[in-house]
Amino acid sequence: MKFNLSVIMKFTSITKWEFKNTLKSKKFMMIFFLQLSVLFLMIIIFNSFVTNIESDNGISITPSLNGFASMDVLDQSGLISKSINPIINVVPLSYNSSLNNIAEGKTTGFLYVPGNVDQKIRLGQTIDMTVYLDSSDPKSSVVRDEVNSTAQIISQSYSNTLSASAVPQNTTTPTVNQESTGESLPLQIITKVMLVILLFLPLLLFGNMIIDTIVGEKERKTGEILIAMPMSQAQIIIGKSMAVVLTISLQVAMWLIILLIAGFHIDNPVLVFIFIFLTSIPIIGITSVVAAYSKNFKEAGIGLSIAYMGIVGFLIVPVLIYLSRKSFIANISPMTIVMRLFSGESISLVDYGISLATILIVSLISYWIAIKLFERDDIIFGPRPGILRLVYDLITFKKF
Amino acid sequence: MKLSALTKKEGQDILKNKIYLGVVFVQVFILLGTFGIALATSIASDPALLDQYGATSALKVGVPENIQGSQLESDLVKQNLNLTYYKNVSDAQEFLGTTLVAVVGFNSTNGQNLTVKTDTSNVFYPVVSSKINKAVNEYQTQKKLASSGLNNTEIQRIMNPVNLQVVNLNENHPANVALESSYFIEIMYGFIVPFILLLPFFLASNIVTDSIVGERERKTFEVLLMTPISSSMVMLGKTLPILLFSLIQSVAWIILLDLLRVPIYNPLLMFILLFFMGLGFIGIGILLSMFVDSTKEANSAITIILVFATFILFMPLFIKTPYFTPILNYIPTVIMVKIASTPNISFDIIISELPTILISIMIFGFTVRYFRRERAIRL
Repeated sequence: MKFNLSVIMKFTSITKWEFKNTLKSKKFMMIFFLQLSVLFLMIIIFNSFVTNIESDNGISITPSLNGFASMDVLDQSGLISKSINPIINVVPLSYNSSLNNIAEGKTTGFLYVPGNVDQKIRLGQTIDMTVYLDSSDPKSSVVRDEVNSTAQIISQSYSNTLSASAVPQNTTTPTVNQESTGESLPLQIITKVMLVILLFLPLLLFGNMIIDTIVGEKERKTGEILIAMPMSQAQIIIGKSMAVVLTISLQVAMWLIILLIAGFHIDNPVLVFIFIFLTSIPIIGITSVVAAYSKNFKEAGIGLSIAYMGIVGFLIVPVLIYLSRKSFIANISPMTIVMRLFSGESISLVDYGISLATILIVSLISYWIAIKLFERDDIIFGPRPGILRLVYDLITFKKF
Repeated sequence: MKLSALTKKEGQDILKNKIYLGVVFVQVFILLGTFGIALATSIASDPALLDQYGATSALKVGVPENIQGSQLESDLVKQNLNLTYYKNVSDAQEFLGTTLVAVVGFNSTNGQNLTVKTDTSNVFYPVVSSKINKAVNEYQTQKKLASSGLNNTEIQRIMNPVNLQVVNLNENHPANVALESSYFIEIMYGFIVPFILLLPFFLASNIVTDSIVGERERKTFEVLLMTPISSSMVMLGKTLPILLFSLIQSVAWIILLDLLRVPIYNPLLMFILLFFMGLGFIGIGILLSMFVDSTKEANSAITIILVFATFILFMPLFIKTPYFTPILNYIPTVIMVKIASTPNISFDIIISELPTILISIMIFGFTVRYFRRERAIRL
């Protein structure tokens, strides 16, 4: 018991020392608040997406470039040209000039609506219109689809007018009772996925800290002194990692408070915080592996970018799977659980268990690898073995 | 001669660095991954493409058995929906949200009181919903018109009062695109192409900070500055290989996109724009290197700067307000979209490159001037 207490004392003293130093660093505080400003930018992006949804008839997450494609029109009545999506730049022009423009590739399409369209509408006759497309322009499908959808809306409205005048008022029409369940996928992607990404962002912003504390020791040649101290490599790695985990938890708490003040609807904020905090442990574990293996900051920085791509993929893909299929296995990602938590969904103990087991297994494996790497003299003092050599040692249980 | 020696040495350093080369391969995966996702989502959200690729088996709609032989059933089948028959609507409803995307029912005795229940969270909801709406509208109008004694020709005239004819011109030179879908074209040219082509320049800012701050950390920068080579030559020697490395990557992605049938038009204009943007990115990287003390600081600072750069460059692609259009036309990514997607570029678009070119030259010019004055030594 006495031994265990001393072990804990040693690793907590490293954690305390690292954490204090971090908070004292002016540069760290500057980066900390710059990251908060990044959060504000994200909130602006988030709100603009939501406004975009609210201003649209449909829900779209495609780019909204005004004037992406161009189309000449000859439509004196303005029947279609007035209602075209602004993604198409509409230019009124004569028939021959427009066809010449298409032939010369100056415009993507040309819409021709005959001049007698008003008269045809009055007489209840069919309206014929033609859209000419430049097949050599990749944007011709954009013009085709936009004209088509506008024509369909007008056709529906005209058809309703015609049928109202052709059918006696007492004719019965089949009534339609429409009900929908669930939230639309694009809306869920914006309101849930973007929010969950915002919440997990601090976890990926502090990788440099662990790199600094581990690779920094190697670069400053202070690692040797640290290793010579009466404490194990495990205590060093865990002590340093816990300091970063504490810093992350501080940032996560601040982000949660800011998001709540900004009006974001987050159910179960305490559980959300706990799960994000727990997720930071294996992420820092993986970062420690990269740091323990890297020779210098440059190598560690790029190694970290690659590792984080994999982590982001592992976190986000199950979230998207859960949204589209409510798959049970999607709970493997703690991000799925956090999203379900702040959405107010009821979560079974098994679902929690899957996520917690993932956190535990990845944490154990990653810290074990990081500690074992840090224990190897060839990794700390060189010549550093290649990754394949390390894998071979691991498989054959040779001094790993 | 001295410049070429420095350029050669810097170039070799980049090419020998396994990590930089690894990041180049990561970019290939990003390109292929985003292309694949764009392709899959385009097909999944387009009713015509789903029909074309025969993927309608996923569009499962539950209907009661009493619908068989009715006009409503034929209207639903006409929309290529995959009908699954149940004893009644409540039996079908149990599978809504799991195997079924929607359930459609009606009163079989008089063909009235239609019920449509849909699961909006399903990935195929937009397609299924649009197909069901078409079928139901057609059914309603047919029922209404038929009950008033109109003949079939009159019913068809009222149901389809607008006839849109599509005429394709220049068919002898068709655009060689992977998918004839507006969504695919918008997402690829409107976001993915500028994103992919700018990735190498994000990496360039990292390499330049590594190169300058790294030399300072290794205390070799002082030696370099003591050599009989001017500050401008040092700058050029550091900049040229990084710029070239990034431009080669961007050209490679243009070729790869062409192979994936997302043709990038006006490659020369694109190259010029990327060259100057690269100069701007590298200029910012060098400027930043002069203010930081270590690679660690440089990495943190460059990450934050790149986040802001991403915001400034990519946010305009998603802004819908026409009020901002005059400003948006001069944003480099917006110009990239126009250049990449327009076979015959107008003079206005070429002119709109000028502010980007000027700003990049100013950033780089300021960096050279500052570098010459400070000689980047902060001992």
